[in-house]
Amino acid sequence: MSTNSQNSYPLPQPTGFTKKFWDACQDKVLTVYACKNCDHTFLPGGPACPQCWSPDLVSQPVSGLGTVFSFVVYQRTYHPAIPAPYVVALIELEEGPKLISNIIGCAPKDVEIGMSVRVHFETKDGFLLPRFTPLNPDNKSEG
Amino acid sequence: MQSAIIAGIGHTEFGRLPERTAFDLEVEASKRAIEDAGLTPDDVDGLITDPGPAQGILDGITPHYLALGQYLGLDPAYTGSDILGGASSIAIIQRAVLAIEAGLCSVCLCVYGDSALSTPGSYSYGRGDDAAFGLFGAVGIHALAAQRHMHKWGTRPEQLAEVAIAARKHAAQTPHAQNQRPLTLEQYLADKYIAQPLRRADCCLMSDGAAAVIVTCPDRAADLRQSPVRILGHGQASSLSTWASTDHFDTLPAARCGPQTLARAGLTPNDIDLVMLYDCFTIVVLMQLEDYGFCKKGEAGAFVEGGRIGPSGSLPVNTSGGLLAEGYGGGMLHVIEAVRQLRGVAEQRQIKTVQTALVSGHGLGMNTHATLVLGK
Repeated sequence: MSTNSQNSYPLPQPTGFTKKFWDACQDKVLTVYACKNCDHTFLPGGPACPQCWSPDLVSQPVSGLGTVFSFVVYQRTYHPAIPAPYVVALIELEEGPKLISNIIGCAPKDVEIGMSVRVHFETKDGFLLPRFTPLNPDNKSEG
Repeated sequence: MQSAIIAGIGHTEFGRLPERTAFDLEVEASKRAIEDAGLTPDDVDGLITDPGPAQGILDGITPHYLALGQYLGLDPAYTGSDILGGASSIAIIQRAVLAIEAGLCSVCLCVYGDSALSTPGSYSYGRGDDAAFGLFGAVGIHALAAQRHMHKWGTRPEQLAEVAIAARKHAAQTPHAQNQRPLTLEQYLADKYIAQPLRRADCCLMSDGAAAVIVTCPDRAADLRQSPVRILGHGQASSLSTWASTDHFDTLPAARCGPQTLARAGLTPNDIDLVMLYDCFTIVVLMQLEDYGFCKKGEAGAFVEGGRIGPSGSLPVNTSGGLLAEGYGGGMLHVIEAVRQLRGVAEQRQIKTVQTALVSGHGLGMNTHATLVLGK
């Protein structure tokens, strides 16, 4: 559980394995972990490269561009700080790794699999979170 | 493989039981299972538990099996818990088989229990750091899979509805089922979304209840009250790299686990008379029908149309109603129903010619899977 209390925003709890990713987000830079031994890139961070098990990892900035691999429109509120409806999406970054995030800047009904998106950092309780907006203005709406 | 048998089954009532704790339910289920087998608590020398969402550790230190073993007054030769989420009930039976084959114990009690319905929030957990984006509960992960299935294969809500409606029809023939209310297609389509595209009717029940089975070796058969059900095969496969793997939402670990387990049992999907699939969400039933080879990849939506998996269909699935309508038994109720069908005591639900049954378990988002093949 990453919730500190019932009602405060459930912010990420960076650990030794994920700190570089979240620290870079605070500078509005999206990064992935890259293995210096085999060049594999991945998310989330861990103690070693999940492909070759080398511990020699670096944090590598990425373009911030990706596509929607899949998405879900939450219609039930699970946490008071995150009222429904909202879109949770699995984003496939241009560089390969996938991450869970939100699609913002368009109505939930306009989100579709394969849609091109770009990272957009938003502050929650003083913490910058990487969310994604449609790259194509056609997907943007008043919603 | 004819190395172990299921000799006893037992479960409590399932539903909202606020006066009961998970442990007292587990004790009741254990008692029923050992009595059903015609054995006594003194015969039990193995205890393996599926601790449910408590993850196996109570008060920060005590593992679930230790607490239950204390309450049951057992000093087993072999014990432990397995934490594979919804695959745990089959995983613990599998471990019982392995322990019995290895001679580590001879009568193994396998128990699942929970009081999720009377314990608010036990399935509404945030998924680690992804909770910051609102990914809560198991429903979000399965909605991602459903969205992919609909996008890739054109699967329609009416086809998900077939799974939910079949479950209610089966439950209507199951006296202890928690949700026996009929469900029509119109009611399904009008049902509210929880995590779109999944509606409330696509989601399984939460329950207070417990279920247990006794696994023993064939040479105990003479001591038993019931005709034994043979364990013909068992298997596991997991996908722990989650969505780093390209097909995580398109293929379950069942695609490996199913064929491998059936092969060990010397069977194919065509040889299976009764199919009991872990059904935490309707979409998972469709995916398993494909991954086990009951239909081709992408065709499960069309396959279930026309009531095919319902009570009078050509391939009845989850004849007691499953997690969607019988009650959330962690997967153990699926095993128990398969045993009843193989014993021929499933009353109005009884399938005429059942010689073999396949039972699946699926857990921890979409990461773990286990399969059990049973026979007369």
